Amino acid sequence: MVRVELAAGETVKAESGAMVACSPTVDVESKMEGGFLGALSRRMLSGEKFFFQTLRATRGAGEVLLAPTVPGDIVILELDGVNEYLVQKDGFLAGADSVKIESKMQSLSRGLLGGEGFFILRMSGTGTLVLNSFGAIHKVELKPDQEYIVDNSHLVAWTATTSYNIEKASAGWIASFTSGEGLVCRFRGPGVVYIQSRNPGGFGNWIRQFIPVSE
Amino acid sequence: MSQCSPNALCFGDGLPGAGVPCHAEVNPAGLVLDLGEASAETIPFSSFSIDAGGFDHDHLVLKWQARSGSRTLYLKDPHLIRAFRQAAPPELTAHVERTAQQVRRARHGRRTILLVALGSLVGLILLLWLGSDTLVQMAVSRIPVEWEQPIGEAARSQFLAGQTVVKEGPAVAAVQEITKRLADAAPGNPYKFEVTVVRSDVVNAFALPGGYVVVFTGLLKKAESPEEVAGVLAHELNHVLLRHGLERIVKTAGLVAVVTIVVGDQQGLVGLAKRLGVELLTLKFGREQETQADLQGLQLLHRAKIAPDGMIHFFERLSESDKLQVEILSTHPMSAARADRLKAEAASLSRQTPEPFSFEWSAVQAGL
Repeated sequence: MVRVELAAGETVKAESGAMVACSPTVDVESKMEGGFLGALSRRMLSGEKFFFQTLRATRGAGEVLLAPTVPGDIVILELDGVNEYLVQKDGFLAGADSVKIESKMQSLSRGLLGGEGFFILRMSGTGTLVLNSFGAIHKVELKPDQEYIVDNSHLVAWTATTSYNIEKASAGWIASFTSGEGLVCRFRGPGVVYIQSRNPGGFGNWIRQFIPVSE
Repeated sequence: MSQCSPNALCFGDGLPGAGVPCHAEVNPAGLVLDLGEASAETIPFSSFSIDAGGFDHDHLVLKWQARSGSRTLYLKDPHLIRAFRQAAPPELTAHVERTAQQVRRARHGRRTILLVALGSLVGLILLLWLGSDTLVQMAVSRIPVEWEQPIGEAARSQFLAGQTVVKEGPAVAAVQEITKRLADAAPGNPYKFEVTVVRSDVVNAFALPGGYVVVFTGLLKKAESPEEVAGVLAHELNHVLLRHGLERIVKTAGLVAVVTIVVGDQQGLVGLAKRLGVELLTLKFGREQETQADLQGLQLLHRAKIAPDGMIHFFERLSESDKLQVEILSTHPMSAARADRLKAEAASLSRQTPEPFSFEWSAVQAGL
């Protein structure tokens, strides 16, 4: 859970449904970030929610408690106008009003094979950014030209200075899939990669076996 | 921190992994870099190696060897990059321009890919929209008849799960006889039609792919003669013979598959199988398919030597009486145009003496 303190008139934007509790001085508004078309494209393309909620301390200072939908960790990042983060579609929890969010298209092979879909979110601007993960979050720092390999479904966010390629986990295709890793992302520094300890798809498969089938 | 706002990120040995925000400025001697900690240092142009980087390939990456180890600087600000390109000495400019060329080419390539992807997407949608009928028919004609049976069987058992089936009696025998007459008259019929009579006041009947016919007792009660039932059945059997259900499924499946590929939602594929089953039960055929089934149905009646006006009478009579409870009208509305077309088609058929059925209709209805 994140506690955000707002001065009078300040706003914070959050994923819709993220608000847990707030002071009576705070108003909850819903807003389509980037206008109707922008919101539509974000909803359609990146699977992120159509509306963000905006929490505004209209009647004086107050505080807001925010929590993500999925069980997991929260990481707080500071954007200074220079650094940018690329965030997979479910990773955004909240951000200062001055944080710019846009849908970004990945290249064809990354989109098709990366497991993150064609579109990811690019966070730029200045201010605090809060990301959430599924499971624990782990930070990997890469030196210039240092490489690191991450299973694509465990990605949360990475800096824009980090480049990456999709490749198969083992030398052969069959071994790649039978090892249970399938495709992986090879990151190349400099920069930071945030990874999550749990894989939503794998968890879904695991839990599916306990759901009684109707009929 | 320096007075100026940071406009570059510096990485290197001994620096944090996320990079140090710093301020860079171009002057004739080189790049003035202010890391915030000590006084700004000027790095001469000659020590740089240059590359492009970043997610969009729009960052200028400068690498050099500092005393404290190798350093990598990411410049993003377009003004700064332009200033650097202008101030750099000739021997470096050539390399800068080459890098810029690469960036431009990469950006151009990406734009081309985007355009091609968008174009093919639009093309695919257009193709599906306009040429879907031909495509679907091509696909359907490749599906062997045996494949239809499990689809229809699954849909039927799903439907029958909550229903009371009438196993035997005069009604079942009568419906079976009508179906057999029609099926035998259909030329080149590959299906073995199987009829199930379901006890329900709903006035309806439907046929599933593979030749599974379901008739509700409500329909039998409302029908004044076996010819009327035969009319409805002839229409439904033709949906099977013309493989309309299959066409519908292929169309939906194709659409879902395209949407899934575009949106990249893997759960969509899992739900697909289930959705198709539901689709089958709530099958609504297109207007064209209805007309086709109507006309072919009339011809089938004619070939089976059953009076073809039963179907017309039945629908007309039903639409005049109460519209509630008559479910068949919701999927088969009897418009004036439809009646006229049917009548005209019926009139064009050669005259013949209909052969009666072997059962007594009043006895069948009494047994319901």
